[in-house]
Parts: sequence; structure tokens; C-alpha cells
Amino acid sequence: MTPLDYLLLLSLLTVVIALVAGHRSMGGVWLTFTYAAQLGGLMLMAGLTNQPDVITSSLSFTILGQSLTWRYDALSWYFALITISAGLLSTMYTAGDWGEKFRADGGNLWLLHVAIALNVLSMLILLGSGDLLTLFIGWELVSWASFLLMILAGGPSIQAAIRYITYAMGGAMAILAGLALIYGHTDSFTYPAAANILHSLSTAHLWAPLLLLTLGFGVKMALLPLHLWQAAAYAHTPGPGAAFLGAISSRMGLYALIVVLIQLVGLVRVIELPVLFSFISARDVLAWVAAFTIIFPTFTALRQNDARMLLAWHGIGQGGYMLLGLVMGDALGSAGGLMHVFNHATYQAALFFSVAAVVYRTGTADLNRLGGLVARMPLSFLAMLVGIIGLAGLPPMNGFVSKWLVYRSLMLEGEPLLFVAAVVGTLGTILSVYKLIHNMFLGQLRVEHENIREAPWSMTAPMLILSVVVFVTGLMPGLVLQWIAGIQATVGLPVIDYSLGGLDSAQGSLDMLWVVGVLFAGFGIGAVLFYSGGRTHRVHQLDNYAGGHFLSADIRYHYSDNFYPGLMRLIGPLYRYSFAWLESAVQSGLGLLSLSTQGFYRRVAPANYALVTAVLVLLWVML
Amino acid sequence: MDALHILIELTLMPLVAFVVGLFMVLMMRRIAARIQRRVGPPLLQPLYDILKLYGKQTQISHGILHDIGIIMAVGGYIAAETMLPVPGMNGIADKAGLITLAYVLMVPSLGLALGVGQCANPNGSIGISRALTAMLAYDIPFVIVIFGVAWQAGSNNLVDIIALQQVDGIASWGIVQTPLLAFAGLFALHAILGKHPFEIYIAPAEIATGPMVEMGGKYLGGLFVMQCFQLYTAGVIYTSLFLGGGENWLTFLVKSFAVVAVPICIAYLFPRFRTEDVVRLVWKWPVMLGLIGIAFVMN
Repeated sequence: MTPLDYLLLLSLLTVVIALVAGHRSMGGVWLTFTYAAQLGGLMLMAGLTNQPDVITSSLSFTILGQSLTWRYDALSWYFALITISAGLLSTMYTAGDWGEKFRADGGNLWLLHVAIALNVLSMLILLGSGDLLTLFIGWELVSWASFLLMILAGGPSIQAAIRYITYAMGGAMAILAGLALIYGHTDSFTYPAAANILHSLSTAHLWAPLLLLTLGFGVKMALLPLHLWQAAAYAHTPGPGAAFLGAISSRMGLYALIVVLIQLVGLVRVIELPVLFSFISARDVLAWVAAFTIIFPTFTALRQNDARMLLAWHGIGQGGYMLLGLVMGDALGSAGGLMHVFNHATYQAALFFSVAAVVYRTGTADLNRLGGLVARMPLSFLAMLVGIIGLAGLPPMNGFVSKWLVYRSLMLEGEPLLFVAAVVGTLGTILSVYKLIHNMFLGQLRVEHENIREAPWSMTAPMLILSVVVFVTGLMPGLVLQWIAGIQATVGLPVIDYSLGGLDSAQGSLDMLWVVGVLFAGFGIGAVLFYSGGRTHRVHQLDNYAGGHFLSADIRYHYSDNFYPGLMRLIGPLYRYSFAWLESAVQSGLGLLSLSTQGFYRRVAPANYALVTAVLVLLWVML
Repeated sequence: MDALHILIELTLMPLVAFVVGLFMVLMMRRIAARIQRRVGPPLLQPLYDILKLYGKQTQISHGILHDIGIIMAVGGYIAAETMLPVPGMNGIADKAGLITLAYVLMVPSLGLALGVGQCANPNGSIGISRALTAMLAYDIPFVIVIFGVAWQAGSNNLVDIIALQQVDGIASWGIVQTPLLAFAGLFALHAILGKHPFEIYIAPAEIATGPMVEMGGKYLGGLFVMQCFQLYTAGVIYTSLFLGGGENWLTFLVKSFAVVAVPICIAYLFPRFRTEDVVRLVWKWPVMLGLIGIAFVMN
């Protein structure tokens, strides 16, 4: 029995407990402990991050001459850490009052617990995959587990989940075809054999498997143009489930892409691989796909009026930064991309928790029906504030550090347009998240929300824990960068030269300890200046300037809808929904095709057969 | 460098920034006055204004976040000043770099935006909406300029960028080496300062001074202090990027004041653009010039 076996067994045990006790009132608490135990089991393997080593599972069997193996390395460990933590905090959030209310409102709490436990288990299995076959098996398990989580709420989530599984099946077919191509060359599914053959393939032959695998795994990452399923599918999942999915689920695609692009094909080859009949390389294509994945979903998020949709769209956009940093292939960029996985998971989960807390108290996530909640739910506000600063990538939160690394890499690699694209994404995010926090927590408190209270501790505790993580890893990014350096050494990337506060470099360092220290010292001086001024007195929100009128509670005095009209007058016409149009075109094309084929075998229509035969015979005679 | 030394630098740099900023505000008001054929305020008027606002008896707060917003706005700038090298003092410039500086400068705006949001006045919120839109507009040419300068200097560190420009006098200044970037930078700088014709988020006649609509007393005083820092920061960043920084305090101050004077002299000749026109204009000319400038730099 190796530590990996213990981990997988613990995860299996979690599923069993969820199955047996998920419907009990204490079930959530027990599950929280088993997730904590999983985290402990993972910590037994923490040594993986220091040396390029693997821990294999004793579980392995042989089917048709192919042996299936599972093993963990630094990369798996890092993703597993995020997965289990996301499961732990989501379950902690669900365990208390949120779960009670969910059940009282007719939700299936048992299924939610089971689905999250199954997701964690299947992801842990995927992350342990030791060859292409186990990778595919893990992939399918993850796809169906997330489908379960997405669909369990019923209502609008059903359509979103079915859309997801359609995309996922399409992606899985592409992956299967790619694997078949590789298998055709090697007769083996092991990574070394695949890597060997991929290295020796000619440019034209390499493109087919590379494209198929990237497309297939890109579906889960929601890379453009395969991104349409994600926002609705995540947003309609019940609160903590959405937080779990938003934190880690789509990053499984990134894990698989790292395995394919970096470990099997090798990033050097991707950088050199030319696109036929052009002057750009495969790396450029991937980088621009990533850049568009940053920009378009971010500006789609800007137009959302539902807080959960807004966050889910940003989740897609942030995935672009991860891929962009990674395909730069240097120490800084790949570190930034990998680090962003952790950072994004932390703040995204905090944001979803905060939104779910507001929904718990007010019953809506509609950004036009909220406002002024900071006075009633200060802790949820704090979590959201920390979260949006992280999401927008501003100091002092952790999102800034990973984005900084990506920016630096783009500057050093001499990619001005990609750099501008990355910054445009960040600026769009700032606009969008301000709208989020403004419309929910700032501005006028509505009459019907006058008496609501802060969310209970079982809900605020997980989001505050995450806020602390977001801040501390922003203050001391070295804590995360040590794991990243381990991954880089394991998968064969240049290793980042980090320090506790960031990195030292002759071309421009970053020391967050100083930056954050000075920032808070500045706030301190600002506070001293402020409080040395005259005594303040609080006024009611209706005691406001209103152009000479008097305000009363029935006057809606909150600016929320169409928050950026000036900008929208300029860029509004650019929203053409081309991807949705493309999707519906493909959909109706496929519908037509299936209808016509159906016609052939469903209907007894001898005339059709006679016509086709006659045409074929004529063609044969004429040619 | 010992701890005492750096502590003195970190204290002095924001202090100098504030004092210089006061005089920049004075210069701005004097220039405006001359253009409008007025005399303009006396030497210490900016200081009197701040003291008056802080000392007022009526100090209206709209909630704790309103207070924190002002603290963040002033504190964020105080922190940013320590990342801007001045003659003889580098502060923590070599630990932060240009990109960090650009993002730390967004913290005060975020603080202000939070404080204004808490005030629950739609005029303020519209002001913030416009200010953020303007930021989306001017930050694009600004980061293009940052990219070009950092590429030219081979470093992201302001200390290096300044040192490189002081190698052989004016010939090595950024404005001579990369004139297109310098022009794009000046354009972006004008928009960053938010003066006419980019004054969309104050717009007194439309939205009752936008973010300042619920601000009085020391809240407005905080914003006044913020404006001092803002003018200083803009002038010094541009001086450091394109005018070779300061060889000594005299040239440093002359250059910084000159940089700030340029947009101010232009500003009071113009009315105000509409929001979308600001975005369109800023996304067109400075971005185009900046990208051409980068194309020259990278060859």
C-alpha cells in the first residue's frame, strides 16, 4: 500500500459515506472530516514537490495486453491539492444552514454530496493517470461526474448540463481519435512510447493527433470556440457546487493539455511546429486562442445581469491566462500560468460562496434587484472584495502575482500584441467586477432587504478562510511558487528562480512583501490623516443629494442596469453572438442530417431507394 | 542599505511628492486663471484649502466604507510614491517595477470607487462608471508605452530605465530615442489626468461632479490630497520614462512641472467629450502611434 492508495481509498470512502449518510443532518459534517482526511493523505505525499519523483499506486491491471497504471507526480499533487481543498470547503459550506435551506426548498442534498464526492474521486483518478488509456478513462469519469453535479438542480440546469455533455462527448470522440492515431503508430498506450513516436513524427503527421487532443481537452477548458457550454452549466449549479466547479473542474482540461503539450509532444516542438502554408507556429495559434479566450468571455461577463453568470464567464476568461502563460514556455510564463490555477481556484470559490450567501439571504442573484448589502452582510462583502481584487489581478492579492508573471513573460518574449490582449482582459475584468460588487453590496439598500442578517458561520467561515489564503499567497507568493518550481522540474520546463516575496531578476524583480508592506503602511498613514480630521457623523442613505428633491424609501435611487452605457454605445454593436450563431448552425445542420438519414430507414419509401440506385447506376455508366 | 536609511527614504518620498504636488495644483490653477484672464490663487492656497476641508465642522459620512475608500485613495498613492525613483532616492523601485507600479496606481481608484459606491448616489456611481470606462480607454496606450520602454531598456525596473537614459545626455532620452512612444505616452497622460476634454467623470453640469457628489469636509480634502499625488505621479512617471529622470533635484523638478504643464495648457481650451468619444479617440491615435513605436523599437 502506497500513500496514493490510501488517498484513493479515502476518497472512495468519502463517496461511500456520502451515499450512506448524505441525507442525514450530520452527513455534511462527517464528509467535511473525510475530505480533511484526504487532504492529510495528500500531505503525506508532499515530498513530491521537492524532487522529480513519482508515487505509483499498487492498483494496476492488464487488459488485452495493455497495463493500466496510476501514479502521482508534482503536477498531479498540485492539482489534487486544489481539488480536495475545493471539495472540503464546498462541503463545509453545504454542511450547515445552506444545506438545510437547500433541502427545505426541495433540493436533493444527498445527491449534491454524492456528486461532489464523486467529482473529487474521479478527478483524483484522472490526475493519477499513468498512461494514455487511464487518462481517457479518468477523463470520461470526470465528464460524467461533473454532468451529475450540473444537472442535479433540475430546471434550467438540465438544458445547460445536456449542452455540456454534448460538447464533452464531442471532445471525448476527438480525444479517442487522437489516441487511436497514436496507438496506430506505437501499439502501446504508455507515455514514453507515445512521447517517442510523437517526437519522430513528421510535421504533417503530428498535426492530426495534436489538433484532436487539444480540441478534445480544450472543451473542458472552454477554449474558444468551444466555450459556450460553460457559463450556464456552472452558474445553474447550486451555490457550493458552482464554487467547486468554478474552482477546479475546467482546470482538468489544463492538466491534460500539460500532459499532452509539454510532457508528450514537448513545448519546444510546439514552438517550432509550423502551421502549414503560413509563417506562424502552433504556439502562436495556441497563444492567440488563449488571448481570445481571455478577451471575449471577459467582455461577455461585463454584460451579464446575474452574478453567477458573470462569475462563470470570468472563469472561462481566466483560463485563457493559464494557457497563455503556459505556452510561452519560459520559466516566468509557465509559472504564472500554473500559479494562476491555484489563485483562480481560491478567489473564484470565495466569490461564488459570497454570491451564494447573498442568494441564501435575499433569494436572488439578479444584479438589478440587490444593492447596499454591505451594511447587512459585511463578512460576505469582505470575501467578495478580496475575491474581486484577486480576480481583477490587483495588488495585494494573489491574482496579481500570477498575472504579473504572465505579463513579464510576454514582455521578455517580445509579444506586444498578446501583452495588450492580456491587459485588455484585466481591464475588462476590473470594470465587470466593480459592477458586481457595486450592484450587490454598494449603493442603496432596498426596503425589502432592510432586515436581513449576515449569513451563518458555516457559510462565512469557508469564504473567510479562502480570503485569507488569497491574501497570504499574494503577500508571500513563494509559498505557491515552491510547488510550481517542483512541477516545472518534473515536466521539463525551465524552473523559476523564486523568493518568498516573488522573484529576483536582473530585468525587474517583484517583492510582494515590500509592496504589500508599503501599501498597508500607506493605508495606515491615510487612516491617521483621515481620523485626525474633524469628527464625522453618519447620515441615512436617503439623506442624499438628489438635485433638490427629497428621497423616500420607495424611490429607487440605485444605479445598476446597463452600468457602462458610454462604453456599450461604442462596443455594443460588436457583440454579434457569432459563436452562438455558429453553434446553432452546426446544431441545425446536424439535425437536418439526422432527419434525412432517419428518413431512409424509418420510412418505407421504395421510390427513394430506386432514385438513388438509378443515379448511382447512371453515374457508373457515364464514368 | 540599512533599515534606517530605507525608512527615511520611504518617509521622505511621499512627503516630497505631496509638497511638489501642492505646487503642481497651484500651477494648474494659475494656468487656468491666466487662460481665463484671472489672477489666480496665492502661493499657499492649495494648502489652505486642504487644512480648511480637514478642519470643517460638518463631516458627513455615508458609512464605514465611505471612510475606508478615502483612506485607500490617499494611502494607495502614498505607497505608489515609494516606487517612483527621485534623485538620490530609489525607495522600493527595484522591488516593484513598472507593471507593479501601474497596478498599484489602480488601488487608490478602487478605494475611491468603493467609497463612492457606499454613498448610494447614482450621480457618484455614474461618475465611477465613466471613470472606469476612461481607465479602460487610456490604460491600453499606457501599457503599450510601458511595453515599448521596457523592451527598449531591456528591463522592467525604473531605476535601470532612468540610468540608461542618463548615459549620454539628451541623445539617450526616451523622447529622442522613441518619439512615437513619447507622444502616445503624453496623450495617455492627458487622459489619465482626466482634464478637459477627457473630464467625463467629473462633468459638473451633467452628473453633479460625479464621484465627489457626496463628498465634503475631509472626504473632499482626501480627494484634494489625492489630486496632488496624482499630478506628481503623472509628471514623474513621464519624466522617468522619456525625459531621462532627474540628474539632480533642479532638473527633476523642472522636467516634472513642464510635463504636467503641457496637458493643463491644452485642457482649458476644450469642452468635454462624450464617454464613447473619449474611448474612440484614445483607442485610435495613441494606440496606433504606440504600436508603430513598438514596431520601431523591436527592430
